[in-house]
Amino acid sequence: MSDLLQRGQAWLSDKLTKHASRLVTYQRDELSVELAATIGKSEYEQDDGEGIITRAQVRDFLINSKDLLGSDIGTWPRRGDRILETDGDTTFVYELMSIGNEPPWRYSDPFRVKLRIHTKLVDTLS
Amino acid sequence: MTATPATVIQIAESVVAEINAGDFSKTNLAAQRLYVPNFDLEDMKELRVTVVPREVEYLPLDRVSNKFHATIDVAVQKKFSKGDAKEIDPLVFFVEELADYFRLKRLNSLVAARCVKVENAVLYSVEHWTQLNQFTSLLTLTFELAK
Repeated sequence: MSDLLQRGQAWLSDKLTKHASRLVTYQRDELSVELAATIGKSEYEQDDGEGIITRAQVRDFLINSKDLLGSDIGTWPRRGDRILETDGDTTFVYELMSIGNEPPWRYSDPFRVKLRIHTKLVDTLS
Repeated sequence: MTATPATVIQIAESVVAEINAGDFSKTNLAAQRLYVPNFDLEDMKELRVTVVPREVEYLPLDRVSNKFHATIDVAVQKKFSKGDAKEIDPLVFFVEELADYFRLKRLNSLVAARCVKVENAVLYSVEHWTQLNQFTSLLTLTFELAK
C-alpha cells in the first residue's frame, strides 16, 4: 500500500523545484555543482554572546536530497559548505552554519525528500 | 573648548594606540574603540580588534583620593573558514601576545595608569564558533591609578 502523504509530498516537492526554485552553486572545497534550490527563509539574526554583537543575514535553502546526494558532492551537507546565489551582477556567498540549537541542516519533510539547509551571508561579490 | 575625556576613555584610547603601534605577530592592526562592538558577519573576514571601556571602580585610597580601577575589554575577532589549528592557533597566540604586552604595563600616554590584572576568561566564544564560524576572544585588562 502506498503512502498517500508521501506521494503528496513528492508531488509538492516536484512543483516547488519546477516553479519556485532557482539555480545556485553548491561548493565544498574544490568541488562545485549547480543545483535547484527554493528559498525557504530569509531573515536577520543578531548574536550578542559575551556582549559582542555580530549580525548576520540568515537564509535557508531547500534542496532535493537526491539532487545533492546524486551530484559530485555526494554526501549530506557539511558545516562550512557554501552556497552561491547570483542575482544580476551580484553573487551572494552563504555558508552553512548552525541556527540556534539546530544543526546546519535538517530534513524539511517527514519523508526526507528535501533538505532544509541553514546558511548565513559571509560575502558579497559584484 | 574641548573637554578632557573621562579617565576611562583616556585609558581605552591609550590601549588602542599601543595595540596599533605594537610589534605583534599580526601586523597592520587597526584596533578601534567602541562602546558596543556591533558588526556584520560579512565584515569579519579581516582580523578585528576592538577596545571597549567596560567598568569603573572607585576604592578609597586615602581621605582625598581613590584607587581608580578601569576595566577595559579587548575583543579579538575573525571569521574562519575551517577552524582548524593552522587557522586558529595564530589567533590564540596573538591574544597571548596582547596579554603579555599589557601585563604590569604603564600606558605610554597615561603613565599614571598601570595594568594590574589581565584576564582571558573567554579564550574563544563557543557561541560565536558554532553560530557564526567566527573566532572571538575577549581579553579583560584592569588599569589602576590614584585619582
